[in-house]
Amino acid sequence: MLEIRNLHAAVEGKEILRGVNLTIGDGEVHVLMGPNGSGKSTLSNVLVGHPKYEVTEGSVTFNGKDLLALSPEDRSHEGIFMSFQAPIEIPGVSMTNFMRAAVNAKRAYYGQEPLAATEFLKLLREKRKLVGLDAHFMSRGVNEGFSGGERKRNEIFQMAVLEPTFSILDETDSGLDVDALRIVADGFNQLRTAKTSAMVITHYQRMLDYLRPDFVHVLVDGRIVKNGTAQLGYDIEEKGFDWIKDEIAQ
Amino acid sequence: MTTHSASIYLDLYDQHAALLASRSNAVMNERRADARARLAQYGLPTSRIERYKYTDAAAAFAPDYGVNLHRVCSVSDPYKTYRCSVPNLSAVLRFVVGDVVMPAAPTAVLPEGLRLYSFAEAAAADDAALLARYYDRLARESTDGVSALNTLLTQDGLVVHLAAGTHLKSPLQIVNISAADLDMLSSRRLLIVAEAGASADILICDHSAGEHQYVSTEVIEVFAGEGSHVGLYTLEETHTTNRRFCHTFVEQAANSHVQMGSVALTSGLSRSTTDVVLRAAGARYDGVAAVIADAAEHIDHNVLVRHAAEGCQSDMLYKYVLDGDSLGAFAGKVLVEEGAQQTLSQMTNANLCVSPTARALSQPMLEIYADDVQCNHGSTIGRLDDAALFYLRQRGIAEAEARLLLQHAFINDVLQRIPVGILRERLAMLVERRFRGDLRCSGCALL
Ligand SMILES: Nc1ncnc2c1ncn2[C@@H]1O[C@H](COP(=O)(O)OP(=O)(O)OP(=O)(O)O)[C@@H](O)[C@H]1O
Ligand SMILES: [Mg+2]
Repeated sequence: MLEIRNLHAAVEGKEILRGVNLTIGDGEVHVLMGPNGSGKSTLSNVLVGHPKYEVTEGSVTFNGKDLLALSPEDRSHEGIFMSFQAPIEIPGVSMTNFMRAAVNAKRAYYGQEPLAATEFLKLLREKRKLVGLDAHFMSRGVNEGFSGGERKRNEIFQMAVLEPTFSILDETDSGLDVDALRIVADGFNQLRTAKTSAMVITHYQRMLDYLRPDFVHVLVDGRIVKNGTAQLGYDIEEKGFDWIKDEIAQ
Repeated sequence: MTTHSASIYLDLYDQHAALLASRSNAVMNERRADARARLAQYGLPTSRIERYKYTDAAAAFAPDYGVNLHRVCSVSDPYKTYRCSVPNLSAVLRFVVGDVVMPAAPTAVLPEGLRLYSFAEAAAADDAALLARYYDRLARESTDGVSALNTLLTQDGLVVHLAAGTHLKSPLQIVNISAADLDMLSSRRLLIVAEAGASADILICDHSAGEHQYVSTEVIEVFAGEGSHVGLYTLEETHTTNRRFCHTFVEQAANSHVQMGSVALTSGLSRSTTDVVLRAAGARYDGVAAVIADAAEHIDHNVLVRHAAEGCQSDMLYKYVLDGDSLGAFAGKVLVEEGAQQTLSQMTNANLCVSPTARALSQPMLEIYADDVQCNHGSTIGRLDDAALFYLRQRGIAEAEARLLLQHAFINDVLQRIPVGILRERLAMLVERRFRGDLRCSGCALL
């Protein structure tokens, strides 16, 4: 599904990613861990085409296509979704209008008619249930007055509506209380199929428990320095990152 | 100080005074000598005049525009040929073509308590008394040369009179059409008198037909009686060749409530001057404006609200979305006079410059001579939020569409403040179409 080769990227002239290699196959869930500031969000933003991040070297192939050549909106249509680490507020753009624009843009990309109003509302209702988001959120502005946890829930709600094939969850678990985390993780698990994959960034073991990832990778200073299974994640939870840094130093 | 462009119109008046007088209501003629003296004294304002520092009126009037002395009208029956994009809004509709007030549609029936007539139609002794009492009463006090020019040259206009306690169920609509076969100056006039306890909403649509240089002056005087409610909404959808100078004077009695809303979609140069006096306790004034401008459009709102009595409120929200090389200017002053205790006032101007070359000029001011007041004012000038733009794009919304959503969101809270549901919806629809670029107010063009 996704193949990242020797990816280098800079933000404001400063190199953050320094040669990332990562391959993600269909149906796989990969967890990305790493110390603060190691470049996890940078990698996510590069994959979704944030204009602030400049790719200086390397390639990314997504289902055979040159991902880096696509606009952010086309990457979205092609099936890439990012749950933002810090979802922002967009006052005045109602959730309903936002989702309608997003759903119909994707349909237009695939040559489909806009969704009829009743169908669309039904879709929203179904997906809200999946993450336990109350109806009144739909008439509010995007994340307007949402609590931190509600914003994260809203990210997974949007993911459910857009049905991406590759999802990036950037610390979606942080800020969620235990119950909310379970609901969000259950929602995410229900959306998993043999054709969908994910890259999940987390600092916590609880997420490993819920998601049972196929692989865990560790990013340090803009490079993936260690690959393993879920067990690697548990080791990090227990021992921190220093032992990995020591390993690299040797 | 007579500016060059003022002298053009003073000469024109002097040459044609008799003809003008022969075609106008006596009350208009009575005010001309004073208007002439004021125009000669103040001139047409250049940008050296404080209240005109963002708009050089003298330059806008400098071309020698024709004046419709012979009352020619290029549109024969607008009720048949014109269809406004705000359809079925109102049973009560009057057209003004240039500055010629068209007769009412023969089928028009006015609700009880409403009188709507042109100065030319004023007939009854009551009408004459009303005009004598109110016409030019506020405008004459102004040192603004443009309103003096209007009083000097105006030949007809509309009068809206609401008898005490009258309540209009649906809005009354006035459609101004700038249509001429040559470059033209028109001088429009509107007098609104709401007696005690009356309430009405009035929509004025400004449209244009044809692409000649067109400059219009309009003077609107509003007298809101005790406990009355007047909603006055303006929709501007004209042409880049249009220059519009509209001066609204409002005088409010005790516990009256006046709401003004202005939506500017397309024009060339548009200057709106609003002078409000809250004369007696409990009066409340709300003013909102939504400005959407691009290309070389120049939109300037200048507002002065005088709190002349205690316990009055004023609340103003002016929002501009500026694209292209457009210029949006706002200058607003709240003046709280001595003794106007318990004044509550809020004035906000917010600008969104969506292109690098659009410019916003903003100057909210407060002048307070009372101690027990609560007044806030502020202004912002910003650009589209890149983070918001990217968030939308990540969800698959194309950049152009995302920009549109954000612009619409920015201006939407102004529209939400328009309390008349039917008006709010129609205006919101027009704003949406304007953003999408499929508005040349097509529903409202000459068929
Ligand atoms: N938009 C930006 N502008 C300036 N610097 C940035 C920007 N984005 C990232 N950086 C810098 O790049 C480095 C990597 O940041 P990044 O957000 O990718 O880290 P992270 O691994 O996601 O950390 P965390 O675990 O704290 O979320 C940091 O030093 C950060 O300050
Ligand atoms: Mg991060």
